[in-house]
Amino acid sequence: MIAENTQTQMRKGILEYCVLSIIARGEIYASDIIAELKSAKLLVVEGTLYPLLTRLKNNGLLSYNWVESTSGPPRKYYTLTEDGKGILSQLDQTWQELAYAVGISQKGANS
Amino acid sequence: MEKTIIINIGNTIIHIEESAYELLKAYLNEVKHYFVNHADDLEIVTDIENRIAELLTEQLEEQKKQVVDAANVNFVIGQMGRVQDFDTIEDEESEPVINTNYQAQPVDKKLYRDMDERVIAGVCAGVAHYLDFDVKWIRLATLLTVLLGGTGLLVYALLWIIMPKAKSRLEKMEMKGEPANLQGFQKNLDEELQAVKERLSEANKHAQPIFAQVGIFIGEFFEWLGRFVSGTGKVIFKVIAIIIIVFGALFLLSLIVGAAAFQGFWDESIYEYFPFSIVNDGNRGVIVLSAFIVCFIPILALVLFSIRVAFSKQAINKTLSFALLIIWLAGVATVGYQAAKISSEFKQHAELTQTNDLKTLPIYVIDIDKSKFFSKEDSIAYHINGNEKNKIVVDDFEDGPFVSPNNIRIIINKSETATTRIVQKYESQGKTFPSALQNAQNISYSYISKDESLVFNPRFQLKKGSIWRNQEVYIYLEVPVGTKLIIKQDAYRYINNYGTWDCADKENDSNDSTAWIMTEDGLKCIAQLKEDAIKKKKLKQELLDLEFLKKNRSADTIYQDSVSTRIREVEQELGINIEEN
Repeated sequence: MIAENTQTQMRKGILEYCVLSIIARGEIYASDIIAELKSAKLLVVEGTLYPLLTRLKNNGLLSYNWVESTSGPPRKYYTLTEDGKGILSQLDQTWQELAYAVGISQKGANS
Repeated sequence: MEKTIIINIGNTIIHIEESAYELLKAYLNEVKHYFVNHADDLEIVTDIENRIAELLTEQLEEQKKQVVDAANVNFVIGQMGRVQDFDTIEDEESEPVINTNYQAQPVDKKLYRDMDERVIAGVCAGVAHYLDFDVKWIRLATLLTVLLGGTGLLVYALLWIIMPKAKSRLEKMEMKGEPANLQGFQKNLDEELQAVKERLSEANKHAQPIFAQVGIFIGEFFEWLGRFVSGTGKVIFKVIAIIIIVFGALFLLSLIVGAAAFQGFWDESIYEYFPFSIVNDGNRGVIVLSAFIVCFIPILALVLFSIRVAFSKQAINKTLSFALLIIWLAGVATVGYQAAKISSEFKQHAELTQTNDLKTLPIYVIDIDKSKFFSKEDSIAYHINGNEKNKIVVDDFEDGPFVSPNNIRIIINKSETATTRIVQKYESQGKTFPSALQNAQNISYSYISKDESLVFNPRFQLKKGSIWRNQEVYIYLEVPVGTKLIIKQDAYRYINNYGTWDCADKENDSNDSTAWIMTEDGLKCIAQLKEDAIKKKKLKQELLDLEFLKKNRSADTIYQDSVSTRIREVEQELGINIEEN
């Protein structure tokens, strides 16, 4: 139970960072984000992504365009805003620091 | 076999089996319920619905199917995840934070307009929330104060201006006084901060100057008015249209029945009554038919138009309505032609007089015989037994719209010769003079003269088969000067050239008859003459008295003057009296 909770916490923190990183590579549709997250074995269900995307958008990190689709309703294609890019670069830095911290923690500073 | 349902999800039309539909509906409700307290619930749910629609269409294409079944829906649910799985990623940690935050705040109600339960602007509902009353009592009280004096209207308008709308979820919760630490109130910290920020900006908005509030009020008022006209107004129009349809349909039905009746399926005797008695036998069918068309088609058009208003549906096509118009015009033309034809039969006038000398007597009694005259045929028709001689059928039928104008008129004149005579004048119209004369000859009229009593029939009859052509009967009664006439009350209305109702005998209150006398100046009311004579006598007496006074007191000039004036007045009055007599 404790392990599960910590896993969830870790995943959750990383999920947002990963979503922003995926979108940073170019305009992308929600289900493609999901596909990428799934191949990275990060996301269990799609339903989780939509609240996250909406929140990021409302915080001004994302914006989207409606694009006509051949199979079904028009799709929202997401891009990063300038704010989003700024936040992402901060997060990149934090990730470097974390990776370093984890590496140090696991292997010792002197190895 | 399974019933399918067509749904619109994410603006995509999808055919879905009923069982699959139930499954999908349950899932979407779950999702909606989950996000209901989320600030962006609508957007998230829309995104999810769009995605579901896409997944379903993809599956249909892949599997080359037309209809979504339960397996497809289950696949979609598996893909999207159940709501229990949503929790793990998004909001778990923030929940306790929210709870502690909100529990620390005292919950107090605020006065907002409830736009969800509004009738006009949500004022009553808002007040009801604030006071914890049932809204219907508040509405009733408002309505009563509006009706009794109208102060409620003013108060309502003021509250409309003052009270802000409850827009955000937080405001709605404040309005209803619900504790904000709701279970499932899913927000993380920054969302919470955002909501607080929104709340602050809302609070600033509430502090707007009052004229801005008035502006909002006016805008909302007209918006409400527009909604009322397009909503309730439409309903009122439809109700009116339906009433017109019902009554119009009834009227059309009665027209059909009426026309059928006039076409002779019913009772021929209707043609003895005015105005149907005008119409010639041969033309009846044509006239009834065209009159029917002229009445029927406009009402039919009204009903059809009402159907269109009420059900927004065209009841008949253009060709048919055009045909109806042409038929109607033909009907109008026929009626016009027939009316012209009939009126041409009133062109010529003919008179026929018949003079009877009566025994000259000093007194006559003029009366009207109210008992109805029956021909032998009528007696059989009405089952009147000839043996029951004592029974009299009284004709009390007043002049109604369907009674032929067949009353007689009695004119009393002074006889130039010394004989009493009755002149009956029959008049009629006709197409030519001979036909007019013939129509006049078709009048049958009788009176009874026995000793001093003259009993007139109030109406004349037309001989069987003759038509109404404005026939009239005048009775001229000529009596020599000095003849007394007793006129019964029943006869008053038939005597035209004297004010029979003004002659009231004050001494005799029974008033069922009045006494008259023929003078050189025409017929005079005896009671009136008596009154005049008494008055004259009094005046003469006064004159004598005045003249006596004048002689006795010649010294007093002022007195003399007033007496002289009075004498002149009295003389003048007497002079008129004398002239009158």
